[in-house]
Amino acid sequence: MTYRVAIIMRNTLEALGIKHILEDAFSISPQVFSALGQVPDVGSDLFDFYFTSPELFVKHLDFFLPRRQKVITVTSSPRDDEANVLCANDDESTIIDSINAWFANIERNAVDHQDELSQREIDVLRLIASGMINKEIAESLGISINTVLTHRKNITNKLGIRSVSGLTFYAMMNGIIAPK
Amino acid sequence: MQIVNYDSKLCDLLVNDPTLIAVFNRFGIALGVGDKTIARVCDEKGIDKDFLTTILNTFINEEYVPSDVHNRFSADKIVSYLQQTNAYYEHYLIPNIERHFNFLMAKSNNSNTSLSIIYKFFLEVKEELMARINDDKEQLFPKLLMHSGSTRLEANAKNDSAAKAIQEDSIESKISDLLNMLVMHLSGTYDSNLAHAVLIALFGLKKDINQNNRIRERMLNPIVVAIDAVTD
Repeated sequence: MTYRVAIIMRNTLEALGIKHILEDAFSISPQVFSALGQVPDVGSDLFDFYFTSPELFVKHLDFFLPRRQKVITVTSSPRDDEANVLCANDDESTIIDSINAWFANIERNAVDHQDELSQREIDVLRLIASGMINKEIAESLGISINTVLTHRKNITNKLGIRSVSGLTFYAMMNGIIAPK
Repeated sequence: MQIVNYDSKLCDLLVNDPTLIAVFNRFGIALGVGDKTIARVCDEKGIDKDFLTTILNTFINEEYVPSDVHNRFSADKIVSYLQQTNAYYEHYLIPNIERHFNFLMAKSNNSNTSLSIIYKFFLEVKEELMARINDDKEQLFPKLLMHSGSTRLEANAKNDSAAKAIQEDSIESKISDLLNMLVMHLSGTYDSNLAHAVLIALFGLKKDINQNNRIRERMLNPIVVAIDAVTD
């Protein structure tokens, strides 16, 4: 499927750079605008995705916020807790990987959009809280280490908790394991 | 990005970021700074102005990496600054969080399960932080002070790029987890104002630790590397 993409950025060089990458690596022909006001029929969502700068995102919050799942912001200094951000300083292949992952993620989210832990994630969390390392969890559940890592990443994203102790206390709090 | 220089006025810096008062305190500078510049205050108090501006710039700016640290500053200066920092955590920030937590727990008659579990997690983080502070006190700082001022140190310490990056520090991620547990997962009944106070106090600790980690990584570690090079 070909996406309809709008690049809305003041920085001409960055905009043309993204246009080039989208044409070259994704066979997408995006339209480039230097301001939101130039986008035709702006409210009628002619585009599937938008690339913009953090400055324009904030300036036109009323437009971008309801569409945030479809917006990727381009910056040279991303904070690591931000989602949907493309780092302009990354090399070309990293940028292509990021855009690829972003498209894939959006397609997946369209099907599975929920913040609660899945049963499998609860199983993984229980084993993390019981002190198992990734390899032991993989063996215990009969899955690969990579799958364990993906589950852990999703658990952390959903709960906002990264450390093993934090996850253990969360598991206690929610009756997933018995309190110490 | 704010850059501090000798002509910067302390009042401007403090109004822009009041948390800097904790840094100034570690140099014996208190509120009531008038409109004095860094240079003037340092002259009056006998503080090394190069050292103070380097600490402030490292503290404020994520991107700033001071150069040639081991030749510019003696180990005892950085150790003294970090001793003050640790003392601030030990005698002020941590007891402050704990006091707020205790009020919060008492107000909910210790009957809020999610709160009790978050409190236990806090106690674990506190223990870990205290262990690191003790490790600094008993191992790292004495070792650095023993070699402070060694001329061989300067001669041998050429390789800045070999500076050890600070090890993945689980205390930081645990403090973030604690904050997120309060923000995302606290349930049941509790006193909102006291919970907010705990949250703000924890955030203050997290911010100060992150900023001081930059100082440890960019100002202390090059000296540790230099000393290791001499003593190996």
